Amino acid sequence: MMRDSLAGLALLFACAGAAAAGSGKEAWIPEPMPTGFRVELTVIDGPVFADTKGHTLYRWPFKVMRNGITGDPRGESNCGSEPARLSGGLMSPYPPGLLMPELDTRPACTDVWPPALAADAAKDVGRWSIITRKDGRRQWAIDGAALYTSVLDQRPGDLIASDAGNHRGDLPAMRDPVGPVTDLPPGFAVISTHRGRVLRNERGFSVYARDAGRHGAASCDAACTRIWQPVPAPASARARGDWKVLVRDSGELQWSFRGQPLYLYLPDPRPRAQDGTDEPGWHLVYVQQAPPVPAEFTVQPTTGGLVVADANGRTIYTYACGDDAPDQLGCDHPTQTQVYRLALCGAGSAERCLKNFPYVPADRGARASGLWSVVSINPLTGRFAAAGDPGAQKVWAYRDRPVYTYAGDERPGDINADNYGELRAQRQGYNAIWLRNDFTREEG
Amino acid sequence: MRLASRISSLLLAALPLSLPCAADAAAPPGGTIAYVITNMSWALQATPEAKECPQGINDGNREQFKKLFPDTGAPRNLVDTQLRREIDGFHPTTSPDLFPFSEGQGPTAPGMDLDGVAGPEDFSSPEGEAGIDNQMQRAIGCIANYRGPDGPIRFFEDEMVLRENYNRIVVELSGVDSLTDDPDVDVRIFRGRDKVLVDAGGLKALPGGTQRMDLRWGANYLREIKGRIAGGVLLTEPVDLLYPWDVFYFPSDQYMFGARLRLALTPTEAKGLIAGYADIETWYLHMVKNWSTHHQSYGRSSAPSIYKAMRRLADAQPDPKTGANRAISGALEVKFTQVQLLPPDPAELADALARRYTGVPYRGTPAPRSAREESDIVAGKTAAPAGLVSR
Repeated sequence: MMRDSLAGLALLFACAGAAAAGSGKEAWIPEPMPTGFRVELTVIDGPVFADTKGHTLYRWPFKVMRNGITGDPRGESNCGSEPARLSGGLMSPYPPGLLMPELDTRPACTDVWPPALAADAAKDVGRWSIITRKDGRRQWAIDGAALYTSVLDQRPGDLIASDAGNHRGDLPAMRDPVGPVTDLPPGFAVISTHRGRVLRNERGFSVYARDAGRHGAASCDAACTRIWQPVPAPASARARGDWKVLVRDSGELQWSFRGQPLYLYLPDPRPRAQDGTDEPGWHLVYVQQAPPVPAEFTVQPTTGGLVVADANGRTIYTYACGDDAPDQLGCDHPTQTQVYRLALCGAGSAERCLKNFPYVPADRGARASGLWSVVSINPLTGRFAAAGDPGAQKVWAYRDRPVYTYAGDERPGDINADNYGELRAQRQGYNAIWLRNDFTREEG
Repeated sequence: MRLASRISSLLLAALPLSLPCAADAAAPPGGTIAYVITNMSWALQATPEAKECPQGINDGNREQFKKLFPDTGAPRNLVDTQLRREIDGFHPTTSPDLFPFSEGQGPTAPGMDLDGVAGPEDFSSPEGEAGIDNQMQRAIGCIANYRGPDGPIRFFEDEMVLRENYNRIVVELSGVDSLTDDPDVDVRIFRGRDKVLVDAGGLKALPGGTQRMDLRWGANYLREIKGRIAGGVLLTEPVDLLYPWDVFYFPSDQYMFGARLRLALTPTEAKGLIAGYADIETWYLHMVKNWSTHHQSYGRSSAPSIYKAMRRLADAQPDPKTGANRAISGALEVKFTQVQLLPPDPAELADALARRYTGVPYRGTPAPRSAREESDIVAGKTAAPAGLVSR
């Protein structure tokens, strides 16, 4: 029904070779970088640029907030070396000028986001340039955006500080990791999800393939194509890396990826829908899959889709927080202030927090997987436990932050604490980990 | 059922509708007709002059914040001001409200007589029916966000009903001999899966669209009850109803005890009321999650004040331990447009009926703050908020 086309008509890709092709990992297009800088392949967020020590590089995009703008303008850094004492009032309806919590220990922006400094002899290269900070130091920038590392990232490929480019309206002005361009043919996009880096078309619709060995790659016949549309390749397309061009019996060209002919599911009602996975023998296509959730966890159906749950079926929630100082620092990691979380989960009482939003305990034999890890927490402070702390608990964490269940969820599939918090939990609050959401605009 | 065969079934099922209209429009084809919801708002009396609010329209969060924490030039810290207000919203109590609360007054309010008694708290409907149970009128009738025609929360929640598939409530009537009079019809309420057919402008729903049942994620919404049609109006028996009300794509539900539908029917639309007793904790969770302090400030509402008012005005579902009522009477104004249903797979329907949960989805904060604790903070007896370092 179709055959590989080795004779493409024109080059569709840039001349640079794609890194990591054929490895089952996401491939990217190499580009010139400062000496010693490199590309790290992260667990679920794709390739990122890293400094000479392998620390992920971030930028701080300008963001229009409810009551103002913050972030870095092009060619400048607003991340200062003095702790911000007052709130910015960027989030309605609260006024600016309120004294920030825990001022005696509040870090400066650069304590949390060290600038990626350039050596005296360093020179611009490709998209990379050097800007001069207000204190006279030289800082690397990409496309004019000042670059930083995060004190939370410890190992090469860490993205502890990232929200993976999530820019929903009322989120803080987040820092974004920067990385090379993923090596894809035109007409495709790759999106980060909890299951991995999933392939979409340029309109955001899911791309599917048939399970290997079940029907054979060429078996989507005329009846099949009534609901499965082969993803068309342009006449100028040619094979490259993981990508091939197939010629169907009709003469149409069709993309295939790692040997899998690609299709769209015509009944998918909207971008991001994955209804095609309900058809036996069909699956989404990932350029890189995330490691599985820990074996003791479960996946539960809800009124909106599928969420990650604990062994008893209780929905697991992450907690995210960004403060409202002009530097928009995080407040959700155990090394950061806990006052926002304690206010939300327990009206200021740690004991009440533990009853409402208990940690997810990790058994002695619990094994880390991907972004899931086991951390030792002092449950009354919410901070990492010190060595020998008799009250320490081993709990599950995602992106190095503890996760929780909600005692107000009584049955598997309850999601009462999803979006629970300030500004629909975008400023601070709890969110379920969606693996599939048939109703949201957000990525699952 | 696989999609292809479902499509075939749909085409067969749609055939009768494609024929010229029958002479007797009162009998739907096959004795079955379905409607999908297009509009839903709380039924409140809201005159342009706000006659029902003699104490005026309530203050909201923004106004209350300014009164609680005036800008005198002295330093104010975020914990004792901003976070205290967030705590008041997410950990509400029944302690007395610091602020005067304007309750909606009678004598007129839309709704239904739910208990068959014309009590002193009851209203008369705009049509003159006595004994209307609508304490929701008192709780939110003088809050700009909820008042018609264009209170911000009212506007957006209504718009989301049409826009978002999560909210696709469908009512199917079967065994219908006449849309005018039939003493015994079967009523099935469930969630649909598909977009509503709209005109080119995108906001006006049109009859004749198609819906499939959401039996996978939507089993908990499924209800099967009896009803009767008299004078072209459907009246159903009461049922405890879970209904979806997602706002801006954040999944959210509400729950009404003893909900009954009273809908004026035509071959192309149904409109009227869904009246019953709203479960307060579920209602409040929906409100405080979907409508942040910022959003509440659009139309001058204050979550802590609303909670206190609702608990004060609650008139049903007494707690077995405390005796405090947990539900409040009210009604939803609803509009539906006719749709053609794709018949469900019988096995999938039976499975959904077997695994659905029909009880209250939420019982309130598991470890709540006490009213005494809030009162002590207000009185300055306790550092506010307890346990948090202010600076």
